[in-house]
Amino acid sequence: MKKKPFLIIFLLATIILGACQPKQSTPSEKQTLVVWDQFYRDEESKVIDQLNAEFEAKHPGVSIQREVKVLEDLSLTVKLALANEDGPDVAQVNQGRVDMGALVKDGLLLSLDDYAKQYKWNERFPGTLLARNSFSEDGKQFGTGHIYGVSPTAEVVGVYYNKSIFAQHGWAVPTSFDEFLDLLAKIYEVGIVPISFGSLDGWNAIHLFSAIQHLHVSREYIDDFVYSRNDVSFDTEFNLKALYQFYDWVKLDYFTPNFQGIGYDASNESFKKGEAALTITGSWLAPELLTGTDQTFGFFLLPGYEEQQALAIGGLGIPFSIRATTEKKDLAAEYIDWMVSERAAELWADAGMVPAMPLPKKYKLQNDTLFADTVEAWQHINANNLVGHYIDWATPTMYDRLVFWLQRLLSFVSTPEEFIIGISQEYEDWKPYQQ
Amino acid sequence: MQNKAKRYPGESKWKGLLYLLPALLLYLIFTFLPILETIRSSFFQAESLYGARSFVWFQNYIKLFQDSQFLSALRNNFVFIFFYSFLPISFGLFLASFLARVRVPGMRLFRTLYFIPQVLSMVVVGVMWRWMYDPNIGPINVFLRWLGLEQFAQAWLGSFTFALPAVGMAAAWVQYGFCMVLFLSGIQRIPEELYEATSLDGANAFRQFWHVTLPGLIPELSVALMTTIIAALRVFDLVFAMTKGAPGGSTEVTGLLIYRWAFELNNHSYAATMATVLTLIILLISLVIRRVFKQSEKGAL
Repeated sequence: MKKKPFLIIFLLATIILGACQPKQSTPSEKQTLVVWDQFYRDEESKVIDQLNAEFEAKHPGVSIQREVKVLEDLSLTVKLALANEDGPDVAQVNQGRVDMGALVKDGLLLSLDDYAKQYKWNERFPGTLLARNSFSEDGKQFGTGHIYGVSPTAEVVGVYYNKSIFAQHGWAVPTSFDEFLDLLAKIYEVGIVPISFGSLDGWNAIHLFSAIQHLHVSREYIDDFVYSRNDVSFDTEFNLKALYQFYDWVKLDYFTPNFQGIGYDASNESFKKGEAALTITGSWLAPELLTGTDQTFGFFLLPGYEEQQALAIGGLGIPFSIRATTEKKDLAAEYIDWMVSERAAELWADAGMVPAMPLPKKYKLQNDTLFADTVEAWQHINANNLVGHYIDWATPTMYDRLVFWLQRLLSFVSTPEEFIIGISQEYEDWKPYQQ
Repeated sequence: MQNKAKRYPGESKWKGLLYLLPALLLYLIFTFLPILETIRSSFFQAESLYGARSFVWFQNYIKLFQDSQFLSALRNNFVFIFFYSFLPISFGLFLASFLARVRVPGMRLFRTLYFIPQVLSMVVVGVMWRWMYDPNIGPINVFLRWLGLEQFAQAWLGSFTFALPAVGMAAAWVQYGFCMVLFLSGIQRIPEELYEATSLDGANAFRQFWHVTLPGLIPELSVALMTTIIAALRVFDLVFAMTKGAPGGSTEVTGLLIYRWAFELNNHSYAATMATVLTLIILLISLVIRRVFKQSEKGAL
């Protein structure tokens, strides 16, 4: 009997304490972070799974609910999902006006400016790179304003070469554009296809043309063109020069025969089999060239004209963004910071992908491997402010129009001059929408 | 008139309608309302994905009929009618009249084989034909080279002249099986006596086809024409899998443009305008076909 009041107090106390517990000890609170990403390829997916597991281990009570989609599918559904109260907390959102820009316009993405300061992202990424994931608050001005995403991986477009073929003929990696032209002529002379290419899918034709274009343009021009600033035009002498260079290679038969009817994958397949000496595309191809072939490959940046630092098409992979309406903002930001940590860089490097952030100092690249080549290429352009752009970001319909005009050019249906007129028109028509 | 007499006493008309209700409800929610919403949104223009939209009357329609990309896509749709409709119907008619009148061993096997393309998913068909047309390793060019016709081997899908017919042939390959099976069942309905009578009169196989088979198949022809023309006008999957409109827009079709404007360029109103116009064109053509065949059916009987 005597013990009764004590028991009651004890019971009451446990009930009150129990009720209070979730609020008092946030670290061990049960939380689910919903993340949508597009790293569906086997190697990539393993990296994300590993990073997620390590994040969960560091944060007891936090579980990550991951959903993987291919990019096209993600782009389509994420626009709807981010408008929902129960949508993903963190999602990869494609850069550019039609994806990230459209979402910013409707206020669906969280500005990451404060977190960028807190986690010192600007020390990991130069400002010009963070600008690519930035928009003005109304979503209209691209490349300026607030940061809305952070990318874990990077891409650089350059030249893959077949080391076996090069060794056999005693060819060396060219160091200037003139040497590169000589090399093409030499390869053609011995009866090997110089550049494996297929323009049926279209987008890689943009890369090929623009890779040459990047050798001619200035840093300011390419930034202004993509961000629609300073009233620049497409109708310039150097764009025409680049087009003529590309056109010449078609006429000189430097590409795979009948390339107009070959898709991107088929062209790479043929390059992998050793049916061509070179191919020009992005660093994303490297992991595929490492297995299932008896050939060995290397990678170099398209060399510039003498005494000129050449820009190269490059950029960041699809960035992670945070839903504006999520209640787990801080946790989401911490997750993104983990995705761009040194540990993440290390795992990406192990998987043969180029990380956007610097690698830990102790990390050793294996010399003379294809992957070392692509990472070095990225680090070179990143360190020297030579990272160019995907020019199809310039307007929402630019991609479509570039493919249209390039395919006409490559089949001799249109001339380079007509191409310039067509794309300039597209660009000028877009400008009024901007205001 | 006859229906009334057939009705059993005590059966209410309303009970029948009640049975229809679930299907009607589903139709309303998943077909009719989205169509209405599509038509409605074609009169609006939105500022952003989820922002306010303003009523713009026929502005989208005016823009559409000045849009050279849309007009050339529509033209390609009409070219596709030849490959989706006329070619498979002619070939299907030929095969059906042949398979129905001539007794060949293993007939069932042939019928099944000819019908297989119709069963495949269009994306599978697209991927398969893309490989068939590959300029360097595809069977078509390999065969041409083997025949010594190297000069005819080319980049089929990359050619401004041949890409559209090349995609069209893949479509014809899919459609003819359906036409054939339809006509085969139709021919079985034609009384055998008609063939006997005409052959007694000395009609050859061709005249029998012209005077007996063809008039007897008018209902099937009407169905085949309608479904295949509709398929030609709303084609999306096959072109998407094979060329995505390449090269330089020469295989662009309306379906692709609708997809692009709605999902890649976020302009749902403009996509809805295209969809509405396409639907109206399809409806109009269907009505004309029905009208024409109703009359010729009367004439044939």
